[in-house]
Amino acid sequence: MTGTLKGFFTILCSCLLMVGYTASAQKSPADEGEISTELIPANKNAIFADGAKYTFEVKNGSNSVQTGKISYLVTAENGKKLNRDSVHVTIAKNSTGKYTFEIPANKPGFYKVHFMINVSDYDDTTHKAFGIKPELLQSSHARPTDFNEFWQKAKDELAKVDPDFKVTPLPEQATKNRYVYAIQMKSLDNMTIRGWMTIPKLVDKHRKFAVLLALPGYQANLGPMVGGDNDIAIITLNVRGQGNSKDQISTLRNEFIFYHIEDKNKYVMRGVIMDCLRCVDFIYSRPELKHDQILVSGGSMGGFLAMATAALDKRVALCSSQNPILCDVRNLPGEVDWPFIDINKYIATQPGLTLNKVLNTLDYFDTKNFAADVTCPTLMGIGLLDPIAPPNNEYAAFNSIPAKSKRLMAYKDLAHEVNIDFKIFEGRWIRDNFALF
Amino acid sequence: MKFTTRLKCWFIAAFFLIVWQNNSYAGGFPVRTGSLMLSVSGNYFFANKGWDSLSRKYTFPNNGKYTSYSYSLYAEYGLSKRFTLVALLPYVINKYQDNNFSSTGQGPADLEVGLRYYLANINYKYYFMLQGTAIVPTYSNNPALGYGKPGAELKLSFAGSGHLFGATSYFNIENAVRQYFDDLGPFQYRYSVTYGISLDKDYKNQVSVTAGGIYSTSKFNNGFNPQFIASNKNFAFNQVSLSYGHAFTRQLSLFLSAGKFITGCNTGDGSNASVSLIIRPFQ
Repeated sequence: MTGTLKGFFTILCSCLLMVGYTASAQKSPADEGEISTELIPANKNAIFADGAKYTFEVKNGSNSVQTGKISYLVTAENGKKLNRDSVHVTIAKNSTGKYTFEIPANKPGFYKVHFMINVSDYDDTTHKAFGIKPELLQSSHARPTDFNEFWQKAKDELAKVDPDFKVTPLPEQATKNRYVYAIQMKSLDNMTIRGWMTIPKLVDKHRKFAVLLALPGYQANLGPMVGGDNDIAIITLNVRGQGNSKDQISTLRNEFIFYHIEDKNKYVMRGVIMDCLRCVDFIYSRPELKHDQILVSGGSMGGFLAMATAALDKRVALCSSQNPILCDVRNLPGEVDWPFIDINKYIATQPGLTLNKVLNTLDYFDTKNFAADVTCPTLMGIGLLDPIAPPNNEYAAFNSIPAKSKRLMAYKDLAHEVNIDFKIFEGRWIRDNFALF
Repeated sequence: MKFTTRLKCWFIAAFFLIVWQNNSYAGGFPVRTGSLMLSVSGNYFFANKGWDSLSRKYTFPNNGKYTSYSYSLYAEYGLSKRFTLVALLPYVINKYQDNNFSSTGQGPADLEVGLRYYLANINYKYYFMLQGTAIVPTYSNNPALGYGKPGAELKLSFAGSGHLFGATSYFNIENAVRQYFDDLGPFQYRYSVTYGISLDKDYKNQVSVTAGGIYSTSKFNNGFNPQFIASNKNFAFNQVSLSYGHAFTRQLSLFLSAGKFITGCNTGDGSNASVSLIIRPFQ
C-alpha cells in the first residue's frame, strides 16, 4: 500500500512538475540561456560506507557550447586539503551533462567537499560535506576521572537550596486551549530562575500531562510556548543570565560563554545546568504533571543542556538534542569559529589563563562526556554543514550515548539547524514513547 | 498526531460496514493506555439479488428480499502501550421475505473479544498491529443469526498517515484469517483497505473509502440460501463503501457510511448503510 501510494504520489507530482516546467519553459523565454548545476550524492544523506560518490549535473540552457573544467576538492573540517580531481567537459547547447566523481576512501569522519565548475560562460562553487562510516567515530579524549564526582557535588549543593517554587497564573496570556503561568524557582547559588508553563485546558480537571521541558539556545529569551497540543504541558526555562533570569548574571551576549570559565566550579554553565535540574524538581512538585513523562529538548546550547540534563537527572524520560554545542571540545579549536573566537579574546585579557586551562574546565561541560551517561531514549539532529557544531564532534557525542534507543538524523544541506522533518519526527517519537496515541 | 486519535474512531466506524454478517473490528493504530472508546452503531443491509456459485447474478426467487438490521456495541480499552482489549456485541434482526415465505431471526449474535498487540512501527508513522480474537456465539441452533460455533481470528494490520494536497490522510490495511471450530468450518480470509482524508485542519470532518471482502470456504457446500445468509459457509464477496465522519467534540463523533457489494459468489448482492456514534468518555 505504501509503495502504491508513493508510486501514485510520484506520478502525480511528476505530472505536476512536468506541467509546471512546460508552462515555465513556454512562458519564460528569459530562462533561456541559464546554466544551472546540481550536486547529487550517491547516498541521499551523503554518508558513505567507503569512498564518497557524487554526480555533478550541469544543465546548459544557453545557445552556446560550454567548455571548461569541473573539479572537486575534499578537505578535512579544519581545511586541510585531502583529495582533488577534475575533468574537462564540453556541454552542447541546450543539453545536460552528468559527471560522476568517485572520491577515494578516507578514514571514518566528515569531510568538506567543494565542487567547482569553470566553463565558457559560467563559474560556480558548491560547498557540501559528506561522512565516511560516522558510526565508528569516537573521541580521542577521555572524560575527567572525577567527572561524576564533580557533578554530584554540584547536585548536592543544589539540593541544599530551598527551591521556593512560585507559579503565577497569567490569565491575560491564556489562549483558547491553554493556561499560561509564570514560574519561578531558586537554583544553585540561590539565584532566581524564571520560565513559563502552559497547560492544556481540558474538561477533565484531574488529567495529568506529559511535559516538554524546552531548554534555551545561547542568550535566547524564551517566552511561553502554546499551540494546539492537548496532551503535553510545555515549560520553557530561561536559565541564569538569559531572558528574564538575569537578576545576578547579566553579561554582554558574547561574554556569557566564558563567564568564570577559568574555574570549573564557578563557570556559568555549572549553574546553568543546575537550573535545568532544578526545573525537573519543579516538574516533580506539580501534581498536574506526569513525573515519568518528562522530555528535555533544545537546540544549540539548548541541545547541550538537554543532553546534560538527561545525563545528570534520571527522572528525564526522553532527550531530544538538536545541534548541541560543546561536543568533543578538545577537537573544536581550529574547526569552529564560535565559541573559541570569543573565548580566545577573553584568554588574551586574562594573565595566566591559557586555552589548555579553559579546555580543562570545558572537559566537565563537554556534551560528549555527558552523553556517556544518557540512558534514556535519545534523538539527535545535526547539520553536516554546521560551523558551530560540526558533524565529527556531534557523532563523537552521539556514539558515546549508551542508551539502547537512540537515533541521529543528519541533514546534508543544513548548517546549525534542523528542518521541519525533524520536528515532525520528534513529535511522533514523543507520542510513541509516551504512548500518547 | 491528534489526528491519529480521531482516525481510530473513524476506522472503527468504517469497519461497521465491512462485514455485515459477522462484524469485525480492528484498528491499525496503537491505543493510549487507559483510554476507553465506546461505539454504538446501527446498520442496515438489504439485498434482493445474489450471485450463484458461478458468480452469476440472479434475482431472489418469488420477489425475495433479505433485510438485516444490526445494532452493535463496540468497546476498545488501552491496557498498556502494547496491548489493547477490544470487544464487540452485535444484536441482529435478519429477515427474509418472499411471496410465499417469511422468516425472521433476531437476537444477540457472535460476541467477539480480542487482544491487539502493537507489533512495530516504521519511523513512528506506519504501524503494524496483530490481533487475536475469540468468537463466542451467544445463541444456538439459529442459522438466521450465524454459525452458532465458536471461532478464532488472527489479524494483521498495517496503517499510516501522511499528507495529500495539504490535507492529512491515512490508510489502514487489514488481513485476517478466521476459523470456526466445527468439522465444517468455515475457514475465512477477510481483508479491508481504507483510505481516508481529513477535510479540515481541525480534523473535524473526514471522508474515507474502503474496499473489503470475505472469502469463506467449507467442506460442506449447501449452496446459497438467501433465507440464511448469516450462516452461509461457502461464499465470497467484495464491497466498497464511502464514509463521512464528523467530530462534535473530542469526546463525541458521528460517522455515516454507505456501501455496495461489487462482486460475489454464492452470496447476496446487497447495499448497506450505517450510523455510528463514537464516545470517548475520558478525553
